[in-house]
Amino acid sequence: MGSIDAPLQPEALSALLARSGGGDRRAFAELYRMTSAKLFGVALRILRRRDWAEEILQESYLNVWNHASDYAASRSAPMTWMTSIVRNRSLDWLRRARCEDAREDYELLAGNLRDEAPDPLERLAQSATASALVRCLERLDEHQRQCIVLAFVHGLSHPELAQQMNQPLGTVKTWIRRALARLRTCLQGAGL
Amino acid sequence: MNRVQLRDEIAAEYVLGTLRGRARLRFRRLLDRDGELRRCVAEWEARLAPLDELAQPVEPPARVWRAIASRIGAAPARIRWWQGLSFWRSLAVASTAASLALGLYLLAVPRPEPAVDTVAILSDEGSRPVMVVSWPPQEAGGDYPLRVRMLEPLPRLPARASWQLWMLPGPGAAPIPLGLLGAHRTQLVRLEPEIAATIGRAWGMALSVEPEGGSRTGAPTGPMILKGRCVKVS
Repeated sequence: MGSIDAPLQPEALSALLARSGGGDRRAFAELYRMTSAKLFGVALRILRRRDWAEEILQESYLNVWNHASDYAASRSAPMTWMTSIVRNRSLDWLRRARCEDAREDYELLAGNLRDEAPDPLERLAQSATASALVRCLERLDEHQRQCIVLAFVHGLSHPELAQQMNQPLGTVKTWIRRALARLRTCLQGAGL
Repeated sequence: MNRVQLRDEIAAEYVLGTLRGRARLRFRRLLDRDGELRRCVAEWEARLAPLDELAQPVEPPARVWRAIASRIGAAPARIRWWQGLSFWRSLAVASTAASLALGLYLLAVPRPEPAVDTVAILSDEGSRPVMVVSWPPQEAGGDYPLRVRMLEPLPRLPARASWQLWMLPGPGAAPIPLGLLGAHRTQLVRLEPEIAATIGRAWGMALSVEPEGGSRTGAPTGPMILKGRCVKVS
């Protein structure tokens, strides 16, 4: 996995963002070249349709271009900042399009997820920056961990999670709340 | 649960993506004016960000960048002359002037000449007719050389360059290479059989300056110096 072996250099991306904020289109083109595959992957995971993901990617980069000068103030890592833009726009899109029912390839996806098992987290553990998160995720109950990964990586909503886990909605909501609280305690213990 | 805990919990669900619908919108409006809440969100984003590594990178199609570039005014992908609307518009205008020249040309052609089916008068930037391309009616199985006749000498050709004649199938469609021309006053261009079969649909003709031996891409790469509409005359 290229992006885990060779993480994008935050310093280089920050510099490109700063220059983009100043209106440097060549810097912005370079930023796009370095980050678009990763962000497209994130949008595809959540939206599961290429045409939607292309649309969201385009909107997101226009947003990045227009707000690149505000980036410094946000105090997050450049990739985290750009990824949240893509994630938020993807989730907004799902709400606008009311397309929970349009994602009929959902069962297919569930199959893919099982293929990805036994543990997609193993892949993550290879990344140093992710190791604390992986350690803390591993301390969660298995169904809690699954809910967190399905929600964050695949954009599943509470009702979708309930269906996927074959549990009542209330149970899934409780699992997530507890999982997040435990993650927070664990990660704060690791200084995050 | 106290208020601080509650706020952090909602921030976490916002970042996780399980805060949906109107609640999500309300939360975002709150974020705009609540710096402390923004800090909570940024912390959760940093905590969960490594999970994004689980999404495989996928190269987006080139059209996404083209669309972005055109909207921010970045150097757009170069547009070929035949892809621009203005070229086709100018061709329509140029043909009005050329139709006059066509009438004169046909009057001047000494008879008997081989039958002519279609004529294109190619004009330069100043709408001055420079070259006439014509061809006989098509018959099955025949070989149909295009006849090219200069009304004016062509401008001097740069070193290591060739004139290349193109058939224009219609607005927006890619030109089809017909052959290379010399500077002689009259010449014949023999068409490949598959091109000869489509020449009846020619909409216009153009002459461009290409690298010696012709464009290597199959599309015009150099400046287009002559252009004209095709007119059926038979």
